[in-house]
Amino acid sequence: MSWLYERISTAILEGDSDKTADLVKKALDEGLPAKEVLDNGMVAGMSEVGARFKVGEMFVPDVLVSADSMQAGLNVLRPYLISSGVKLLGKIVMGTVKGDLHDIGKNLVNMMCEGAGFEVIDIGFDVDPQQFVDAIKEHQPDVVGMSAMLTTTMRAMAHTIKAIEESGLRTTVKIMVGGASVDAAFAERIGADGYGSNAPSGVDLAKRLAGVA
Amino acid sequence: MSSAEALPIVVLSCQVLQDLLTDPGRGGLLPEGLAREIVFLDYGLHRVPSKMTWTLQETLDQIEAPSVVVLGYGLCGNGLQGIKAGRHTLLVPRVDDCIALLLGTRHAYIREFEAVPGTYYLSKGWLESGSHPLKEYLEYVPKYGPERAIWIMDQQYQNYERVVLVAHSQRDLETYRPQALEVARFCERWGMRYEEILGSDAYVRRLVELIQGVAERGMAALDDAGKDFLVIPPGGEIHQEHFVR
Repeated sequence: MSWLYERISTAILEGDSDKTADLVKKALDEGLPAKEVLDNGMVAGMSEVGARFKVGEMFVPDVLVSADSMQAGLNVLRPYLISSGVKLLGKIVMGTVKGDLHDIGKNLVNMMCEGAGFEVIDIGFDVDPQQFVDAIKEHQPDVVGMSAMLTTTMRAMAHTIKAIEESGLRTTVKIMVGGASVDAAFAERIGADGYGSNAPSGVDLAKRLAGVA
Repeated sequence: MSSAEALPIVVLSCQVLQDLLTDPGRGGLLPEGLAREIVFLDYGLHRVPSKMTWTLQETLDQIEAPSVVVLGYGLCGNGLQGIKAGRHTLLVPRVDDCIALLLGTRHAYIREFEAVPGTYYLSKGWLESGSHPLKEYLEYVPKYGPERAIWIMDQQYQNYERVVLVAHSQRDLETYRPQALEVARFCERWGMRYEEILGSDAYVRRLVELIQGVAERGMAALDDAGKDFLVIPPGGEIHQEHFVR
């Protein structure tokens, strides 16, 4: 495995956008496969960021800056990913639930899923259950992702799943949930198909749920 | 009375309730001598919820004599989830976070939350300790530079709609208004409007009444706790579901 992958991960961990972009270009110039640069360099770096954030070793500003560095890397990588024929993995509708306006985690999942090859439809924040239902009808996604940061708003996830059930659409999608207060027990209780303990883990989860892992 | 009368009372609370509970000049509600020990922990513990959990658990476990321990917290982002009562009996307000305690009733909390979910609350304690966006920005500038710092702030706050000062007297609203307005001016960047709410001490008052009941009548007083409070018996554990209504 090329030492460049580790250097890219480190650049992302350090939040150095210029260095990330330069190293990604260098890796591609050396003929490294775009998908490997993505998975072994960039996703690996953001996964480490996610893990450290979860235990309080990194904080929101650091995560934002690291995500921005990954974005800088993705901007260089994207044309190579497309031309290397990375196929569309599926479609994901992502939203932060009703009453909640926190979207940093969701935006991070969106960026990483797009990088991985998903088409992501972001329906924003403070999204009520009916809007989720409408988005499923309109876009027919493979996966629906719901985000909530507060324990107060997490409960809207249960209402949203109920609305999806009542509209007869539940079996047409896989539902994943995430957010600071969400845990596996909660996800199971409300009938979600999976949960991500931090934003970067959302990519693997989406792949698994879309059946493309 | 039974030996239950001798059960000591300990208060373990977030600093956000310090004034309401103990400041005599500001209508501190907890009568002196009622609690054997009162510990106030730092405002920001909930930012890493697992840290709040182990810090509280550690502090709780260090209380040797079996006691009635009053936790001055809400679920606080799952900070209370998994807390084990051990040898103690825990008394906890059944709220998601301290805003309901500052506003005075769960009803007021729901009303405000549904009306404007994108609200950043200021209290005198948070203003004094610098827990607000302006202070946050000023801390980021030396570390990230002014451009990156404001970009970080934008990512976090651009979705908010208003900044609200909550205080428990007209006098406090007036005293803290200038500081709150300074923060509000900074938040105008995101289109946040400034409002004030005269909070109520009703919830904390009811908590204190329960504590007084325990001091006078022993554990039986906790049977009257009602749906707005959680009582976790010895050996019990706090769960997220306890806070779902």
